[in-house]
Amino acid sequence: MSRGPAMLSERSLTVAARIGAATVRERSLSSSRAPVLLFAIAVTVPALAQDARQIVEESQRRGRSTSQRYDGVLEVIAADGKVTKKSWQSLRVGSYGNSKSVIRFTAPPEVKGVALLVINHPDRSSDQWMWTPAIGRERRIALQDRSTRFFGTDFSFEDLEERDVNQYDYRLLGEEAIDGAACWKIEARPRQSKTSQYTSTRVWVRKDNYAAAQYESLIKEQVVRRLHQTDIQNVQGIWTPRQLEMTDLRRTGRTILRLDKLEYNVAVKDDDFTIQALRREQ
Amino acid sequence: MKLWLLPVAIGALSAQSFTQRGFFETTALVYPQSAPNDSGHVVGEGLLRYEAFYKLLPDLRFAGAIDARTDTHQETDRSFDLNWGLNWWDRTRRRPAISVRRLSATWTRGKLTVEAGKQLIRWGKADVLTPTDRFAPRDFLNVVDNDFLGITALRATYATQENTIDVVWSPRLTPSRVPLLNQRWANLPPGIPIFELAPDYPGGTQFGARWSHTGFAEYSLSFYNGYDHLPLFRVQPDSALLRADIQRYYPQMRMYGGDAAVPLGPVNVKGEAAYFTSSNPQSDEYVLWVLQLERLAGEWSFAGGYAGQATTEQRSAPGFSPIRGFTRALVAHAGYTIDVNRSVAVDTVVRQNSKGLWVKAEYSQAFGQHWRATAGLALVRGDMNDFLGQYRRNSHGILTVRYSF
Repeated sequence: MSRGPAMLSERSLTVAARIGAATVRERSLSSSRAPVLLFAIAVTVPALAQDARQIVEESQRRGRSTSQRYDGVLEVIAADGKVTKKSWQSLRVGSYGNSKSVIRFTAPPEVKGVALLVINHPDRSSDQWMWTPAIGRERRIALQDRSTRFFGTDFSFEDLEERDVNQYDYRLLGEEAIDGAACWKIEARPRQSKTSQYTSTRVWVRKDNYAAAQYESLIKEQVVRRLHQTDIQNVQGIWTPRQLEMTDLRRTGRTILRLDKLEYNVAVKDDDFTIQALRREQ
Repeated sequence: MKLWLLPVAIGALSAQSFTQRGFFETTALVYPQSAPNDSGHVVGEGLLRYEAFYKLLPDLRFAGAIDARTDTHQETDRSFDLNWGLNWWDRTRRRPAISVRRLSATWTRGKLTVEAGKQLIRWGKADVLTPTDRFAPRDFLNVVDNDFLGITALRATYATQENTIDVVWSPRLTPSRVPLLNQRWANLPPGIPIFELAPDYPGGTQFGARWSHTGFAEYSLSFYNGYDHLPLFRVQPDSALLRADIQRYYPQMRMYGGDAAVPLGPVNVKGEAAYFTSSNPQSDEYVLWVLQLERLAGEWSFAGGYAGQATTEQRSAPGFSPIRGFTRALVAHAGYTIDVNRSVAVDTVVRQNSKGLWVKAEYSQAFGQHWRATAGLALVRGDMNDFLGQYRRNSHGILTVRYSF
């Protein structure tokens, strides 16, 4: 499941960040074709809520939108407490494993115009390209390079992608409170281990609104990154954390990302999410 | 304006957007050794670059960039004689004091993008050498620390998610700027006064096309028909004046090229190759190719490979070609990000016969939101008959301070 700013998109805000459209389609299909089944599902929701995958799917359903746009304000805090500020604009179209997003830096001035295009796929890792205006070329971020930090922040390139629900196996670990809110604690393990730097991810999903409150990403049994999501607000009917704090536990650095001017279901074109668009929108 | 057009105009205005960026940087280069044709040890340079982008309509954008320069070493014209013809085509011998780096309009309709005007066009995937990058002339006044020049062209790109077709037509050649004869990066034969005649620029157009595919692997095929942006020289001894007259000219060139990038295990493998032919009887025909491996790991970045050359038709004209000069060599880059503001990097080129070496190490640090300082050392060694080795007296230290806005 996505842990980074892109995941902020609709369901990243929710746990469902890496859940896929395929699952949503299945559910919709079932609902529209079989009213009797729908009744059965409604009756059994309390029981299913204990199932990790069902929780993630419900979180996804509540976080769904056709597109998302926000201005991100970042504070990168080094181990010695030194703070560096950055900002970017994020635009996303589509949902879940079929989504596409562009992050474009607006500050500091020396990286203004640098952009990352992420094209997510339901059945495999995303494709990513970075555009650097100073050299006038795009560069593909290879899969094996995605553990690298993204432009000095504590997000890695992999943290900026979203994955389909079917790329993970889920397990309910128990219940824990985060920031005073009761949460389900769920473990997600990638089915194809070579596609992720992480061995597993733990997710805390709030019981009251199904928003994700925290992620922990592990390599083997060691927690290497923690994403704490706070200031969860209802934006156009979607419970959305407006502040994310990513901590790199190996470096003891952290990055705080604040979402400003957040909008869902904005008018965007699919053609704005191509390598060609990266170039022309500089 | 007709009243019924008013809503359209208002709609257009609401879609307008303007962005800008730029920097001012000063650079000091310190050369411990003098060169036979240049006794200077310190060169100071100043550059102000301003770029602006204006979206008039969702499908119509304008881009402009202007450079203003000065220096202590007569590399830049100081007359402020704004010869817009020469400056626009970047054909002046020295750098213009003020030049248009970019001025273009971009129109988009669906998957088609058309850009017309002065622009920067980059082809190829490799980093250490890009043989297919034919629409990218450079400023080689400093051979090992060069910058790209914009060209005037009409570019049409049709792009789907997996395939892109790029067609470029340029009405006139923009040549690379070559080292000034009275400065250290021009290596002249000793004892013979040289007089440079007005260059012989071609009048024809250039055309190129590139098809690229994106999937698990990325690959492209490209074709170019036009002129080499690097010159050959006509040399005419003048016995009456006891000097040699030289004249730059730019031979016809045709290129067939390709490039690819494939993730293989822990590394990304990139390759690029091009075959160059010419109708000019003085111009060599040859193949340039590069194979490189690269990897990002934690705070480290590595790239290394080999740049090769095979001459299929050896002809005789002397020329200036850093692109060929950096081949037959091992090339490597290593970078380390110390923290969000600081980084170090080392680049090196080692000739396969060990007769040429260039190593550059630099440290860069940002201060606040706007300032960055970069300090580096460049070491050049080798034999005088080697492209790199001929600059062995040009090892230098470099300090750049940049204010970005």
